[in-house]
Amino acid sequence: MDLSPFEADNSVSCRLKSQIPDICRTEDCCLGIDEAGRGPVLGPMVYGICFCPISRKEELKDLKVADSKTLTEAEREALFEKLDEAKSYVGWALQVLSPNTISNSMLQRTKYNLNALSHDTAIGLVQHALDCGVQLKEVFVDTVGPADKYEDKLSKIFPGIAVTVRPKADSLFPIVSAASICAKVARDFAVKHWRFGEDLGEVDADYGSGYPSDPKTKAWLLRYLDPVFGYPQLVRFSWSTAQTLMDSRGVTVHWDDDDDDEDGEKAAQRRNNRSMLSYFSAAAGGGSQSGSNQTHRFFSDRKLKSLDTL
Amino acid sequence: MTAKKKRTPQVQSDSWVVIAADPVMDAQTHGSDPTFVRLRNPSTDAGSLYMLSSGDVQLYEAKAFEEEFHSWFVGQTVQRDGRLLFITQMDPLYLILPYLIKSGIEGKFQPVNQVVMDEEFPACSRLLSCTRSLGSLHHVAEEKEVGNRKFHRYSEEKTLSWLKKKVERTVAALKKRNISVGEGVKSTTYIRVKTESDHNEEDYLRYAHGLISEYISEDLSKALHKHLELPEITSPKETEPPSKKRKLSDKPVEAGEDYTKFNSADFVRKSAKKMTAAQKSLAKVDKTGMKPMSSFFSPKVKTEKQ
Repeated sequence: MDLSPFEADNSVSCRLKSQIPDICRTEDCCLGIDEAGRGPVLGPMVYGICFCPISRKEELKDLKVADSKTLTEAEREALFEKLDEAKSYVGWALQVLSPNTISNSMLQRTKYNLNALSHDTAIGLVQHALDCGVQLKEVFVDTVGPADKYEDKLSKIFPGIAVTVRPKADSLFPIVSAASICAKVARDFAVKHWRFGEDLGEVDADYGSGYPSDPKTKAWLLRYLDPVFGYPQLVRFSWSTAQTLMDSRGVTVHWDDDDDDEDGEKAAQRRNNRSMLSYFSAAAGGGSQSGSNQTHRFFSDRKLKSLDTL
Repeated sequence: MTAKKKRTPQVQSDSWVVIAADPVMDAQTHGSDPTFVRLRNPSTDAGSLYMLSSGDVQLYEAKAFEEEFHSWFVGQTVQRDGRLLFITQMDPLYLILPYLIKSGIEGKFQPVNQVVMDEEFPACSRLLSCTRSLGSLHHVAEEKEVGNRKFHRYSEEKTLSWLKKKVERTVAALKKRNISVGEGVKSTTYIRVKTESDHNEEDYLRYAHGLISEYISEDLSKALHKHLELPEITSPKETEPPSKKRKLSDKPVEAGEDYTKFNSADFVRKSAKKMTAAQKSLAKVDKTGMKPMSSFFSPKVKTEKQ
């Protein structure tokens, strides 16, 4: 699999796609969506879609596409080759969400959680197929969150398309299995061939599966923790595994929005806010503090202070 | 002179991020490096940090931009404190002035090097080596020359007209830099269609006066306020109604009306002539057992305990 567009800059999200088979523009098509790499603390999360004419749905079965989890890595790669060769009627597209994208979304000031990110990515891929002229009539999705709500959401966004959201869709519908194979192959490839943007010298690439429970992954995370910067961009900073390690072994970093989810009173106290009541009490502490103690607003507005010592 | 000697703890930090004009660091001309010195701040009367250039030729003040949650990346290191120091040129006369004023109380002409002395801040005598110092003393003091020696006596009159010029220059600088002097906040990215002519001269004067007051004593600031003929911001008198137009100032805003009069016992509420439907229905509500609103604001009366 050629992931070079993603490898060129693996800090951002990237879309890879096959050519659109001509037949998909004229015949009614079905489309499957699945993702790979949702749980790991390392590497990208990949969303995949696969589509083909409804009339040729059964031919996918002949390719022996099955739930990617039941296949070995070699089998998956072989299947992906087969899918790619069936370009006369099968099309696919992938969205590779870099770990950096995931970290930034989940940790930004207005939090953008993984479910929302997943939904939006799936929607974006379906829209991509539509924009390319694929005559979509059926969409099959492996669920993220409650199935009926997700189904509702997608149906509203894509009226005229029959949306089916099912848990385990990847073992029920061959087109979803195909999508899951594409996603999984891309994810494995990206992790295996991760090109570190950071100057780490000789990196030990034996980081295991990337799942937080994997002892190899844990050992790797301990080894590559930088006290100031934390981790290379391969790691999802928003995962509690990474956060816990950074909290305990890294330098404490304070952010402006640290207290945003702290309860109001505490935050107010820290910010030295005065209680509303203090404005009602009679001249507390002699009253006027104005005069020479207050710096002119030219300086206070600009956060400029005189210095007593260095 | 103050006898008390305060020792401020020297916080050691290895490096600072400083913005300074090139001449500050120009060590070649006078042999020595520029140095940070603690001198008496004329406004607060406490110590503040200043810088004297090589050979004490030029005085600079040090100001720090300091805000929460900032740090620096300097080369290959991280500096925890995100302060940004500004070294800006300053007229040494501001720092010499407090000493002149102090000795001026005696009303005698004195040699200036006997006046500018401070046990607490011994470096203050170095101020006199600045190129501008001796030459500009005549702005704030009367001069007498006996033989080859010069003697000085503080003159408030001269000082005030000197400060007035400073204020005027500051006004010009404020206008040139488009600094918002009125009340309220203005975004720098907000582009006005109309050019801003609505800032009146008084706002500028008041703002500039406030700025200059950061460099002089409170007493002198008050005298300058009078000298500039700036109207006092007074709280409205009881007899006249408060003016509708709000005064623009940098002083804290005061309440325009005295609402406390409603709390006094002799204040009798006149019954409203007409009530709205909502008020009428509210009036019919059974109020037994309800505390009056005012009881929540009055202090609790302790009767039981004593």
